[in-house]
Amino acid sequence: MTALEDFGRVAASLDNPYIERWKHEGGKVVGYYCTYVPVELIHAAGMLPFRMRATGSKSTDLGDVYVSSSTCTFCRHSLDQAMRGAYGFLDGLVSLFSCDHIRRTYDVWKHGKVELPCSPFYFEFLSVPVKAEPANVRWLAGELDRFKRSLEEHFNVTITDEALARSIRLYNERRLLLRRLYEFRKRDAPPVSGAEVLEVLISATAMPPEEFNQVLRQALVELEGREGRSDYRARLLLGGVDLDDPGYVRLIEDLGGLVVADFLCFGIRDFWDMTDEDGEPLAALAKRYVSNVSCPRMIDRPGRQQFLDDLVKDYRVDGVLLQRMKYCDLWGGECAMTQWDLAKNGTPCMILEREYLMGPVGQMRTRVQAFLETIEGC
Amino acid sequence: MVGEKYQVHRQMYEAMRGRDSPSARMVAGWLGGVFDAIESGRPIVYHSFALFSEVIVAMDLQPLCCEAWDMIASSVDPMHPARSIDTAHEAGIPPEMCSYDKAIIGSVLQETVPPPAMIALSATPCQNVYITYQAVAQLTGAPLHVSDIPYDLDERGAMEYWIGQYRDLISFLEEHSGRKMDYDRLREVVEESNRCVEYWLELLELQKLRPAPRSGPLWTGTYAGMTAFGLPSSTAAVKALLDRVKQDVAEGKTAVPDERIRVVWFHFPVGWDTGLIDWMGELGAAVPYVEMDGYHAEPVDTSSPESMIRGMARRALEVPMVKIAQGETGQYIEDLLYVVEQWHGDCAIIAGHPGCKWISSAYGLIRDACRERNVPVLLYDVDLVDFRVVSAEESRTRIGEFLQMVLEQRN
Repeated sequence: MTALEDFGRVAASLDNPYIERWKHEGGKVVGYYCTYVPVELIHAAGMLPFRMRATGSKSTDLGDVYVSSSTCTFCRHSLDQAMRGAYGFLDGLVSLFSCDHIRRTYDVWKHGKVELPCSPFYFEFLSVPVKAEPANVRWLAGELDRFKRSLEEHFNVTITDEALARSIRLYNERRLLLRRLYEFRKRDAPPVSGAEVLEVLISATAMPPEEFNQVLRQALVELEGREGRSDYRARLLLGGVDLDDPGYVRLIEDLGGLVVADFLCFGIRDFWDMTDEDGEPLAALAKRYVSNVSCPRMIDRPGRQQFLDDLVKDYRVDGVLLQRMKYCDLWGGECAMTQWDLAKNGTPCMILEREYLMGPVGQMRTRVQAFLETIEGC
Repeated sequence: MVGEKYQVHRQMYEAMRGRDSPSARMVAGWLGGVFDAIESGRPIVYHSFALFSEVIVAMDLQPLCCEAWDMIASSVDPMHPARSIDTAHEAGIPPEMCSYDKAIIGSVLQETVPPPAMIALSATPCQNVYITYQAVAQLTGAPLHVSDIPYDLDERGAMEYWIGQYRDLISFLEEHSGRKMDYDRLREVVEESNRCVEYWLELLELQKLRPAPRSGPLWTGTYAGMTAFGLPSSTAAVKALLDRVKQDVAEGKTAVPDERIRVVWFHFPVGWDTGLIDWMGELGAAVPYVEMDGYHAEPVDTSSPESMIRGMARRALEVPMVKIAQGETGQYIEDLLYVVEQWHGDCAIIAGHPGCKWISSAYGLIRDACRERNVPVLLYDVDLVDFRVVSAEESRTRIGEFLQMVLEQRN
């Protein structure tokens, strides 16, 4: 099995052999819903952070008992999975006000409507600011201190400064390796597809970071010797809401659009910015997480647009494809505002609406096809 | 020039200023202030409804609460919000966003609202306002200030953090207007808003009487909070309403003579169905409490600039929707059940406005908690602003069946 195939296997299911081994050896796993959770703290506590997905979900029947049909289908599937016991490997769950859907999904867990995988189960909700001025960074640093103490108390562990510094270095190393992966995408003939990159990024949130870095190093070696793809019709940037199904990206790439850059949570927003290794660890983490390439939960539209514009230039993007999940207010508004800005400099942009699960794809295929033709006609 | 633009609001202004009613004078005063600001170049400050306008008023800037601007227009031209919403949709804003917010974006796009010099946003009660005020900033180029609110206000240092954010708002207004805050003037404004709140709280207390003296939303208070907080006109309007209610109570007049059931309406009202409350009254249902009216604010200590900032910051957390939207579902449920108990509600209706995912995504928890406390609750989907989403007939059918069920259970 190649390293990329290994990542593909990890991304294809909720549980994976790495988690199974981790649990078998007595390790604990803490789930989190959002990239604004500083995973370094969980890791420094000796636990495995796991980014919540609903991979493998078939329905929302059980979840719908507690949320409404206007809750996004990711949350409905995730809740449904929880009620069916699909997250049996979790020892805790951390969330924050990522969006109105996720905070209420967490509330359903917290209010005892989900049969918890273990007892006592760890719950934590972080108060993360929506802007990144010095006062907000200070607030978050205090919040992370509270988070640290709650992890220590619940799991009866001590998070030393040394352990936290090691975790920060480890995750920074991961970020540098991922940046090297993204360098391949800048080539005229990128040797890696957008779907494969998404599998790597999903794996980054579902594997012990030490092992992930090791497999990723191997993947980078493999990619050096791989022939690139040059038969694409357009170089695309894929942006938008949480996307953890590489099938969507394959659909786009099968039609000839190569995804060479992204603006995704399972993507560049998760890893782009580094944590300062020289500063006081909690302050450094607070600064990194609240100043990171932002998602629309942050009130930072100009910053996001500037970052996106830079990506378009750096990755020689021909068109921006934004996808959003039905009922996602944040990305609904963000997609519109991004489109307004991109129109000013003539960058082709299309907004695709989707559900969490890939259903009938005929309409989506037609729209992507039309978008590619528009780009080719530019 | 003013006469050519903002026609709907101009008509509203003309209609209101001629009336001999404190409420009309309050609204006319606000609209007149906006038109005067356009003519004189006095800076207009957009603010979300979750931020009271006292600091803006005290700096002699013109407050313009965007939510109120569109809500008020619908009373003159019921199609006004629909046109604004359609414009927002045409610009790519998705239909499932809050229609209050879509109307704001649409109004800015249509230029039916005067452009702002500054925008002040409190990051609450939901994320639709984040989108909207960022979109407005993007469309108008005006500087945007955001006051960040901690998720759990009871948490360590949360209140101090929030007060710091509020203090920063004053610095923002000073920086972008070139004016300094006059704290003596602020004291006058806050003393005025204190009086307004005092009358308001008295009015809310009277609504606890059985039968209730008034049923349905008390719009005067809402507009006082949104448009002219801290001006004598808003205090006069609320005082006048209070006096009328007191007189009615003294004379034994009630909103629903045969009050058989008391409904707590735990959200904003269905603004476009103006006959809904009367229709509910015909069924014997009074609505003594509408969450939109739910200011439970304490007076602000005006003894020093610091005490005023702290007091105003605290009071900004008591704005309807803000308190119940902040934090986890348990706090929402606690507030709902408190209101049901205090206002002697027999049941509750929660309108699932499309933008309010923080409510609709908590339906199950709210339902379970109400069942445990034996409080019948109707959770139903209706758009509070856009009459085209759910018809009045459909909306009333749901409410009617629910009220019937509650009455049968009681019997």
